[in-house]
Amino acid sequence: MRAIIIDDERLARSELKKLLTDYPEIEIVAEAANASEGIEKIENLNPDLVFLDIQMPGKTGFDLLAELDRAPHVIFTTAYDEYALKAFEVNALDYLLKPVEPKRLADAIQKLHYQEEKETHFNPQVNVNRSLLTDADQVFVKDGERCWFVKLGEIRLFESVGNYAKVYFAGNKPLILKSLNALEERLDEKTFFRANRKHIVNLRMVEKVEPYFNGGLLLELKGGEKIEVSRRQTVKFKEMMSL
Amino acid sequence: MLRKNYKYYWWCQVAGWGFVWLSMIFFAYTFDQKLTLIWLKRISLVPFAGIVTTHLLREVIKRYNWLLQPIEKILPKLLIAVVASSIFCSLIQIAGVQILSLTSGNRKLDFSTRLLASTLDNGLLIVPWLLIYYSYHYVEKSRRQQVGTLKLEALVKELELKTIKSHINPHFIFNALNSIRALIDENPSRARNAITELSNILRSSMQAEKLETVSFEKELNIVRDYLALEHIRFEDRLKVEYEIDEDTLDQPVPPMMLQTLVENAIKHGVSKQLTGGFVKIKSDFSDKFHELIIQNTGHLNGSINGDGFGLTSTRNRLQLLFGEKANFEIKEIGLNLVEAKVLIPVDVK
Repeated sequence: MRAIIIDDERLARSELKKLLTDYPEIEIVAEAANASEGIEKIENLNPDLVFLDIQMPGKTGFDLLAELDRAPHVIFTTAYDEYALKAFEVNALDYLLKPVEPKRLADAIQKLHYQEEKETHFNPQVNVNRSLLTDADQVFVKDGERCWFVKLGEIRLFESVGNYAKVYFAGNKPLILKSLNALEERLDEKTFFRANRKHIVNLRMVEKVEPYFNGGLLLELKGGEKIEVSRRQTVKFKEMMSL
Repeated sequence: MLRKNYKYYWWCQVAGWGFVWLSMIFFAYTFDQKLTLIWLKRISLVPFAGIVTTHLLREVIKRYNWLLQPIEKILPKLLIAVVASSIFCSLIQIAGVQILSLTSGNRKLDFSTRLLASTLDNGLLIVPWLLIYYSYHYVEKSRRQQVGTLKLEALVKELELKTIKSHINPHFIFNALNSIRALIDENPSRARNAITELSNILRSSMQAEKLETVSFEKELNIVRDYLALEHIRFEDRLKVEYEIDEDTLDQPVPPMMLQTLVENAIKHGVSKQLTGGFVKIKSDFSDKFHELIIQNTGHLNGSINGDGFGLTSTRNRLQLLFGEKANFEIKEIGLNLVEAKVLIPVDVK
């Protein structure tokens, strides 16, 4: 398992590395001292795991995650960020408090192995095409003070709002700074369908399909959202569905 | 307190009704009425019946908590009470006259006329009694409220001081401990020093709760320890400069105040800079003030611009200890440069 440590303090990084020598399966492939460096290294090296400090000069660890297309497995390391950690509402996330207790580290790594196993079991061909995001991939969404790790499969709908995209999942619809076109490029078109200029729909979340005027269609999603499919895309939709 | 009040109440009763009694005699004397013994005895029934009635009236007022209820709600009840007690008072008087057979022979009035006349007379005495009783309690109540408010204010101030004093950032403590753990292998002697420095800071932050002021020298030593620890964390990202006039070392300063300001300079300033920054501490006399200046790399962001808890409370704390002349301000003095300035008036002897 390849990991990157991102922390602005050299001593904190070296302390964590020392603790990780007990886990030969975790290989530290890089270190970064701030968020921008971290983003660069994550995008180049594509690690399986990131140890991430929250408070860093420039951007915080949360900002870093929000800029990534695909969020890797993350273990937060922080000295005392009660408030930052409260930001996570639903998702179980793992974090280590510095100075790190070896027992807590062992638990976190075990949990990680368990999760990895589960994922490879359900999605055997996960790593086939890394440029395309699959259902099992997670994205990190930050909206003001609240943060979520969301599996793509849980997302019902992306809606374009200016330069932002509104992400609909469960009872939430936070905004992310990404254009719909950029998202479309990275999403698997078998699951995520561009219904019209403003919406990308998760086809597995469609509950009802009704004919609409002008030869279009109206999709009703599991969350109750009603999305119109443009005439041109209706042809494509019917083609895909008739298979 | 209650016993004292009760005694006071009885004195007022006796004095008040005694005054009524004496003034009746006085008027009778001036208007040249015949001062017979029977008349005197009859007159004496007035204060007696008055005290009995008003005492009962007081019991009613206390039992049903009429003092605490809004006046407009209680007014009808009070009116009825006044009428009832006036009648009651008259009945006592008439009964007294009958029992002691003090009737004056020349005037023979029927019972209802006597009752009505005497009720009106007594009403004229009971209404002022009630007014005095009520106004005394209103004054007393507002005085008690004022004392309560003052006490509360003092308590709030004391609590405020305590919370400001004991303010040491847990984030700093845990980060320092983490660095020290890494140092134990890398540089054991530095690690040992660091533990001493951390204990100094913790000790003085605990003592700070007990002391009003400490010498600037003591405070500066804490800050030196603190910055040495932060230097371990930030390494070459943190540069520290001192510019201290030695004569200022004996000046009194509030404990942990400079430390808090330096901590903020690092937390909001230096630690946010990608390439690091510096903290400069200056202490000097200027005019009739001891002037403490903390400069650091960074920007003032809106949220801490004068209104943040730390900054307002720092100013309050200074003014509580050193009077209105003491001041504290923080501002940007250049591109990426923030300055915090503390002014403490110096006693010139």
